[in-house]
Amino acid sequence: MKLLDMTKKYGKATYKYPLEPYEVSEGFRGKPSYTYENCIGCTACGVACPSNAINVKLNEDKTKLVWEFDAARCIFCGRCDEVCPTGAIVLSQEFELAVKFDKNNLKERGELDVEYCEVCNKPFTTKRLISYIFHRLEKVGWDKKTLGEKIKYAKTCPTCKREEKTEVMTKYLKRGTK
Amino acid sequence: MKKGDNLINKVKEKITIHEIYRQPEDQITITVDRNDLPETVRILYYDLGGWLSSMIPNDEREINGNFALYYVLSMEGGKMTPEDELPQDEKCWITVKTFIPANDPTFPSVTLKVPAAVWYEREAYDMFGLTAIGLPDPRRLVVSDDWPEGLFPLRKDAMDYRHRPDPVDHKDEPEAKFLKPEGAGVLDVPLGPLHITSDEPGHFRLYCDGDTIIDADYRLFYQHRGMEKLAENRMNYDQMGYLAERVCGICGYAHAIGCIEAAEKAIGLEIPLRAQAMRVICLEIERLHSHLLNIGLACEVTGNVNAFMHIFRIREFSMELAQLVTGGRKTYGNVVMGGLRRDMTGTEIKKSLELLEIIEVQTKEVWDAVMDDKNQVERWKGVGLLDKQVARDFSPVGPNIRGCGFKRDSRYDHPYDFLTQLDFEIPTEDGCDVFARETVRYRELLESVSIIRQCFEMMPGGLTVIKPQTMIKPGAYAIGNDEAPRGENIHWIMHGNAQKVFRWRCRAATYNNWTSLRYQFRGNTIADAALIVCSLDPCYSCTERVTVVDIKSKKTKILNYQDLKRYSQSSKNHPLKNM
Repeated sequence: MKLLDMTKKYGKATYKYPLEPYEVSEGFRGKPSYTYENCIGCTACGVACPSNAINVKLNEDKTKLVWEFDAARCIFCGRCDEVCPTGAIVLSQEFELAVKFDKNNLKERGELDVEYCEVCNKPFTTKRLISYIFHRLEKVGWDKKTLGEKIKYAKTCPTCKREEKTEVMTKYLKRGTK
Repeated sequence: MKKGDNLINKVKEKITIHEIYRQPEDQITITVDRNDLPETVRILYYDLGGWLSSMIPNDEREINGNFALYYVLSMEGGKMTPEDELPQDEKCWITVKTFIPANDPTFPSVTLKVPAAVWYEREAYDMFGLTAIGLPDPRRLVVSDDWPEGLFPLRKDAMDYRHRPDPVDHKDEPEAKFLKPEGAGVLDVPLGPLHITSDEPGHFRLYCDGDTIIDADYRLFYQHRGMEKLAENRMNYDQMGYLAERVCGICGYAHAIGCIEAAEKAIGLEIPLRAQAMRVICLEIERLHSHLLNIGLACEVTGNVNAFMHIFRIREFSMELAQLVTGGRKTYGNVVMGGLRRDMTGTEIKKSLELLEIIEVQTKEVWDAVMDDKNQVERWKGVGLLDKQVARDFSPVGPNIRGCGFKRDSRYDHPYDFLTQLDFEIPTEDGCDVFARETVRYRELLESVSIIRQCFEMMPGGLTVIKPQTMIKPGAYAIGNDEAPRGENIHWIMHGNAQKVFRWRCRAATYNNWTSLRYQFRGNTIADAALIVCSLDPCYSCTERVTVVDIKSKKTKILNYQDLKRYSQSSKNHPLKNM
């Protein structure tokens, strides 16, 4: 009987859920929301994601860098939020993930233009990443002239840079032996 | 004189010890000859007051050409009487290590002397092909019945893990035999294999004489996920914590802490006090919702749905509390090596304290009402008795053993730094039955609330996470322990090359509890079987269907869920009466 009295005392404990929204707390970690405009394609989120929910790879004809997120695999840990340098990916308060019939509705996708290496002509990074770096350098006080000189260096892939450096070094060493 | 030295000296009097190795201060590994193994474990277990916490078989052929076995004993004192306990500063872990040559993978069974080792030794054969000679129960345990003979999945060179091996033809499957008592008129009642709310389906065989269970046996591991192997192959330490969380749906956070703590201890990393306090808070929140769940289910199994509803209403507050503290309704996704990822603000702490108040007041109210209900208490009292000696032999953990009067708790025996500053007691009950276990759970709830309050008060400022600066040494190993709601979780990690895991052994609390369940069933009625399993807290709630086979007359009868539930609630109209 005591338990029944308690029911009267505490009243309703349930929500009319779909009709009445469920309030989550402020720091709730829900579905990651992706802002395409901010993304620079640095792939930090893809490396950090422990459950492989975020995949970043080149498309088939190597013209675009494809960013793909699968909410069905996500464990809502928020590692992507932590590592993103531009705030393109932030955990939202959204927790309703049910989709009708099609699993693909759980996926999100973004395509970014690829930058080609000026020496070997292979894709190695995104256009946005390079312009982001230049933008940041401009902000810390580099003048336009120096930046213009550096543009070729920035548009060379790491492998070619290494080879170039090796060539210079070998020349230098050969000269030294003579 | 270091911790545990006098225990080691006592062992030395009888056994030759080849090597003594200390990883952290309180974790000692002694290497003995393989033929001395059973005697060493027995001396440590019964004479010096140890409890078998875990056993790790390991494939170390690429390191030293041998297999190795590690019997992890938690040295706390026998605790059969209140005086029989080691002083607090002498409690430690002693691991008995032995090498097994690769060309002769056998070792003398420890089970004959220490019954608690039975499941571990069965698993050692399934996973590594290490045969325990003289093991009284050599059936398969971990791998399924259609797994090919002679393929041992955790050996480093066993198989290509990208492909699943072809299952054995149904006709060639070894028969899954159950331990059966002899005698005429014994009814064989299968229970399971699927329980609706459980992640781990289990199959129980109850052998009954009329209504009374005279013996029981069970077959578990229907969903072996191969997590230990997954961690070895692919994971780094940032990802390991998240994998460890997925071991269990209820006490996942405790697993993450145990796993990360093992990795931290192996490199000697001290985490900031604020992070320790936050870890304790999260563990206690987990205990709150897990215990509320179990008390609720124990009421529901005996038909008291009203109490179940009330307790689940209160449980909702504990989920909200978890949301405030960690950002998710479960406490997941928060632990990293070196601390915790999320800090708390002042307003969040204030709201949490309000929620704690609600939980405390309402839990007390509901529990008092349940205790006033005579029928409810009668259904719990005297059911599922776990004899004290059986408990001592099989090393169960958690409320299961604290209900037998043993004061075994990881927070008390092997505490973190921050826990030693807190003021709390470990509740124990002497009833040994379901009632005692539920009472222990209730009293722990109140303790948890008080611990969280103390943590909020004493929580020091500063960072919650530090970056580990030490490189991980290959071959170093350590134990990580913590008290999950169901009992003590033990994680054992050996580091490999390239900052990865060489071997991860995860021992969940319920693993230690299963072996003694058989003795808890004996002498009870079928109607109480569900309640006894529930009081163990393995997320058991529902039996879909039961087939009853009368061995004598070869008749079968199918009882549906409704029948069994009605009978377990009213104990009238025996469903097998007309068989």
